[in-house]
Amino acid sequence: MADNEKLVFMVTHGPNDPELATIPFVMAVAALAADVQVAMGFQGDAVRLVRRGEAERIEAAGFPPLGKLLNDLRELGGSLLVCKPCLVSRNIDDAEGLIDGAEVVAAARFVAEVTSSTQTLVY
Amino acid sequence: MTIETPIDLNTTTADKVVDARGAACPGPLLEAKKGMGNVPVGGVIEIWSSDPVTKTDIGAWSGKVGHTYLGHLEAIGYDRVFVRREK
Repeated sequence: MADNEKLVFMVTHGPNDPELATIPFVMAVAALAADVQVAMGFQGDAVRLVRRGEAERIEAAGFPPLGKLLNDLRELGGSLLVCKPCLVSRNIDDAEGLIDGAEVVAAARFVAEVTSSTQTLVY
Repeated sequence: MTIETPIDLNTTTADKVVDARGAACPGPLLEAKKGMGNVPVGGVIEIWSSDPVTKTDIGAWSGKVGHTYLGHLEAIGYDRVFVRREK
């Protein structure tokens, strides 16, 4: 990665808002294509996006399917950080229910990612 | 973003042509990045895109990653976007 640039995308919208769930993935893939490091943080209902099989069901008009964007993001080395309390409140089993590569974290990890980033964008 | 002029794109032969027609943003950009890996330094990649925003997006991407955006040609229903690999 060039120049140690890193963007953090905090995603808070889930399957009920396909457009706002998709846009941060579009931005993240574009950043990775430009050799900018990316960490994506999923909080609130956005944690549903990284459940197995969920992204494949989401396609906002005018955007690529979320499943493709998610695959592109992982292929390019973006990291996926998922809020533990948000999973608990939704009864999502993080051991079995999440896609490969998703890392379950809590507040301090998010703070560390944000404070070490070039910019953080919240969706 | 570096734009060199004059250059006759009609006589420019690309080392790699990527057909990203029908792909929505950021698809053409991603295809450009992947395709660039098959282009020698100093060579040219040509990206076909039916998304009219691609030419400005590729221009911005080129400047960001250190390649040279050469311009575009309009074809029927799509743009032919040219970038020279610099590193």
